[in-house]
Amino acid sequence: MTKTYEEINERIRSGKAVVMTAEEVVDLVREKGAERAAEEVDVVTTGTFGAMCSSGAFVNFGHADPPIRMTDIRLNGVEAYGGLAAVDTYIGATSLIDPPGTGYGGAHVIEDLIAGKKVHLQAWGPGTDCYVRKSIDTYITLDDVNEAYLYNPRNMYQNYGVATNTSDRTLYTYMGKLMPRMKNATYSSAGELSPLLNDPHLDTIGMGTRIFLAGGEGYVAWQGTQFSTTAPEVNGVPTQGSRTLAVIGDMKQMDAKYVRGLDITGYGISLAIGIGVPIPVLNKDVMQRCAISNEEIFAEMVDYSIPSKRPCMQRYSYAQLRSGQIEYQGKTVRTSAMSSLHGARDVANTLKDWIEHGELLLNEPCLPMPREGKLKSLMERGV
Amino acid sequence: MEKKFRIDFNESNVLESVTYTLVSEFDLKPNVLRADIGGDGHGFMLVSIVGEKENMVKGMTHLRDLGYGVRELSGHIFHDYDRCWNCGACVSLCPTRSIYYTEDDEIKLNTDTCIACGSCINACSVKAIQLEL
Ligand code: SF4
Ligand code: SF4
Repeated sequence: MTKTYEEINERIRSGKAVVMTAEEVVDLVREKGAERAAEEVDVVTTGTFGAMCSSGAFVNFGHADPPIRMTDIRLNGVEAYGGLAAVDTYIGATSLIDPPGTGYGGAHVIEDLIAGKKVHLQAWGPGTDCYVRKSIDTYITLDDVNEAYLYNPRNMYQNYGVATNTSDRTLYTYMGKLMPRMKNATYSSAGELSPLLNDPHLDTIGMGTRIFLAGGEGYVAWQGTQFSTTAPEVNGVPTQGSRTLAVIGDMKQMDAKYVRGLDITGYGISLAIGIGVPIPVLNKDVMQRCAISNEEIFAEMVDYSIPSKRPCMQRYSYAQLRSGQIEYQGKTVRTSAMSSLHGARDVANTLKDWIEHGELLLNEPCLPMPREGKLKSLMERGV
Repeated sequence: MEKKFRIDFNESNVLESVTYTLVSEFDLKPNVLRADIGGDGHGFMLVSIVGEKENMVKGMTHLRDLGYGVRELSGHIFHDYDRCWNCGACVSLCPTRSIYYTEDDEIKLNTDTCIACGSCINACSVKAIQLEL
């Protein structure tokens, strides 16, 4: 049994498509097998809602009268990039407020804009014959600007490590607060709900795939940075970071509910966003892969008190991690997530709702993602 | 009944044994949850006390008469459900397991069992938990 994108879209348009979340199909496939499930289900929706540090927004402010070519730009005091033409900028999620230290940064500017709040724009320029003005100080909202879209170079890590701390002092990391002597461990993937764990070799997800991005419609824009395919696999899915995606989407469609500016103690600013990817059930193999469960997906625990090249201490399944505690060499270690499992489910359910109501059609990628990718390290050399 | 109190002391009464007095004179069962004493002799402790209501009132009045600051702790911890994005970072840090995942993986905080240790506060990336002692 195979289905085409067009057949699936036809069913979506006529309101007949059967859509289930990646959690819901686990039991269905267990009961009926992949073949029968693939006949019944048209689309599987996935979701994740976590910190995605490599994110940011392009904004075009529109020209003031007289116009200015902005080369030095602040949004609510946070530095935005001044190396694009006249009134374009890019504000990165981790960009800090000047002077730093208030727990506010680029991610918060992005959240404030999406929430419809006024944002303070200050900009300076050299003053040229064509752009005479040298400074501007005003307030903008998302409605006022021409374009505002997220372009996130690295989101949706396929899987991620489990962090713990064997040292005698508390560590404050991007994986959260890690108590001394392995009192706790944190993990960040949404497991069986996570987009790239349901299509591990990106057979259906590619360039141009239409997705749920923070409450609006978004697209897969490119392979994510640090895209890698070399991680060891268990049950057909990688046990480490691996593949990533770059995504793009109109901020004017987004909902602040799926966006959070974060201030992670000891690390800095990051942006949490909700992203969901629909997977077309083209055949029984796609269905089988979507049915992967938390028992079958593994992640590697590493010690964050080791500064670099952290070896894997032990592998744990997401079922074990989600139980609230794991065992390591006879010791009980408490676990909690660093990404919102509730939010991931909300994203998958909302996307399901959109598709059931014919509000989002699926599309065939215009270019597949690379079959292979290997991480390079930065060499330090003299010349 | 069981209530939690914050008891402030200073150099003049730091040496008095608060818990001993409560046990022997007022038939109360105090459990010290947390104590902080600064180098200057000022400090406070958080105690959970079990006993008859009448004894508790008398015991606390007695401590006040001795010059201790006594304040009942209720609503000392506030979890802002609107701001919280249910990330879970705070869950594995709570020694009393007062922060937990619901069936649907939302994060909830049980203020009754919270002992105000403060461990969760700086773990929250959106400042959704506030402790007021
Ligand atoms: S202050 Fe936070 S970590 Fe400490 S007991 Fe209360 S809820 Fe738990
Ligand atoms: S750390 Fe903060 S945002 Fe995360 S679950 Fe706890 S209270 Fe909510």
